[in-house]
Amino acid sequence: MEDKVLSGEALKALETIRRADIVIGIPSYNNAGTIGHVVQAAHVGLARYFPQFTGIIVNSDGGSKDATRDIVLSSRVQDSHLLLVSTPLKGVHRVSFPYHGIPGKGSAFRMIFQMALSLKAKACAVVDSDLRSITPEWIDLLIRPVLHSGYDFVAPYYHRHKYDGTITNSIVYPLTRALYGQRLRQPIGGDFGLSSALISRYLTRDDWETDVARYGIDIWMTTIAVAEGFRVCQSFLGAKLHDAKDPGADLSAMLHQVVGSVFALMQEYEGVWKSRAGSEDVDLFGFRYDVGLDPIEVNLERMLGAFRHGCQDLGEIWRLALEADTLAAILALSKATSNGAAFHLDDELWVRIIYEFACAYKRRPLERGLLLRSLTPLYLARVASFVIESRTMFAADVEKRIDKLCLRFEALKPYLKFLWAADRNLEPARRAEPKGAGVQQGLRTGLEV
Amino acid sequence: MIGTLQEVFERALMRFSHQVTTYLPPLLVALATLAVAYLLARGTRWMLTKAFKGIAFDRFLRESGLSSMLDRSGRIRGASLVAGAAYWLILIAGFLTALDAFDTKLSSQMIEATVFLLPKLVTGGAILLVGFWLAQYLGRSVLVWACNEEIPAARRLALAARIVIVFVAVVVASDALGFARNVFLAAFIILVGGAVLIASLAFGLGAREAVQRYLEGGTARAAEQREERSLWNHL
Repeated sequence: MEDKVLSGEALKALETIRRADIVIGIPSYNNAGTIGHVVQAAHVGLARYFPQFTGIIVNSDGGSKDATRDIVLSSRVQDSHLLLVSTPLKGVHRVSFPYHGIPGKGSAFRMIFQMALSLKAKACAVVDSDLRSITPEWIDLLIRPVLHSGYDFVAPYYHRHKYDGTITNSIVYPLTRALYGQRLRQPIGGDFGLSSALISRYLTRDDWETDVARYGIDIWMTTIAVAEGFRVCQSFLGAKLHDAKDPGADLSAMLHQVVGSVFALMQEYEGVWKSRAGSEDVDLFGFRYDVGLDPIEVNLERMLGAFRHGCQDLGEIWRLALEADTLAAILALSKATSNGAAFHLDDELWVRIIYEFACAYKRRPLERGLLLRSLTPLYLARVASFVIESRTMFAADVEKRIDKLCLRFEALKPYLKFLWAADRNLEPARRAEPKGAGVQQGLRTGLEV
Repeated sequence: MIGTLQEVFERALMRFSHQVTTYLPPLLVALATLAVAYLLARGTRWMLTKAFKGIAFDRFLRESGLSSMLDRSGRIRGASLVAGAAYWLILIAGFLTALDAFDTKLSSQMIEATVFLLPKLVTGGAILLVGFWLAQYLGRSVLVWACNEEIPAARRLALAARIVIVFVAVVVASDALGFARNVFLAAFIILVGGAVLIASLAFGLGAREAVQRYLEGGTARAAEQREERSLWNHL
């Protein structure tokens, strides 16, 4: 396994370093502008908070064409005598290697985890390479719960602008919370702390060559941790400020990979999520404080336009996944897009859309990609609705609003169970016609909870 | 006179008797064969419908999208499909056996032709089925892609993709059947060549300005989309 994941260069470095207590992994691809700051923060974090441990910073690079790798190896900590009051007992190594396999964050993580396992690390943290708000305290907050409190998985908890992280807010957080009963606010945050036991578990899995290799990695890690009963917690890291993603990145592909991973894991952990109801808080480390956030622009008209086009063209695809009444409600909604300010996609309809797509994903393996990509206009409609609704809201109100959506996801979980379990041969959009009384019954059951 | 009439009548009677003794037994055998085949076909269909009910074949049809392709309501069942196929196969076999009872040149030719054509028909049918399935799948993929990329006339684009794939499947199936091979091939070449010629003329002559406007619009749109996309990346 080690030979398969690690390059010859990395294996040679392992022979030299042999052992490390803490591994900080940084995946990268053309991040020369920001990675120096991230490496410095990680270096100071290790030296300041874990001076008695041997630390190593591992950069797993996807073939950057800029100077990303050189910067990782050469960047120096400015004014170290001011940042570090005492001299660390043990040094901090830095290595940078290209990873093998499918290009993506997941493949980069795989190499980092393999390094951590080979070095017999007690704890590992992974942080994004485009972060501008990372501080040395992040390392402490991600590693300490693992080293000193016995947690296996530390998820981040940030303050983000109300329009930032809408895949998280509208799909991934509410769905993960409703399914697995744990209120992990940033399940795809990208910065995590991990125990050696959990890393070993990740490496024994054989689905690394799927969407997990790309954007699906974050939700994959979180889901495994919560579904398999590892001890999970969160750490408050302040604000998350990061570079805009690659402008060429395809929103549809991102949504496809993240949501596809959630749906795929729903099949694997069917027994787990079916047995859980409601949700509970997860321990939160760190001192919470308010922070200023970068403003985020959104183009409402463009999002509504995408939804309108979707309604015109994608009916035949949506019909494969959606119940007749859900589809009818969506198509009726397209008329409301002409008056942007009045547009509203309500929580219940949104939850039904997600649950019905999850069931269609299970039912139609050959058309999964198609279904997930057709979700994009619906997602944009939901985001547009949220933007309109939250225009005048402050952060606390937005959180309450998201919590309300989560409760709707939890309340309609019986509906998901009903759809999931039903052995259905009919196309869903036909099923809720008069004969589909069972579906209506299931929906009613969901609404009563 | 009476003798002549009697002779004619006797000859007619003999011919009739000969025809009855020649054709009645095979006809009775053929009718009996058809009746047995019909009963066997119905019995088999009933048994298969019961035996295949709810088995994995239904799931395969649904998961592969074949059920929605064969029947838009998706009500089609694997069991009824298999049972229906067996029903018609038994009926055809019964019909051929019944024909064979007559032992004529025509019936032999019909049986030979059927036995010779059947594998080709099955191959052609399979090619068409795969072609239709591919056309549906790729057509839908084009539709979703074009819609997400906000390309105008996404449905027409998807329809064009479907037509091209179905046409290719028809050409390949006709080739496998040996039926109007050249006609389909020629039509295909003419259509593809014609489309290329129309596009060339549009770009080179008549629609030059329109094409230029379209391309400029497309470039501007693409630039605008790149800019917009960067606004979407926070999502």
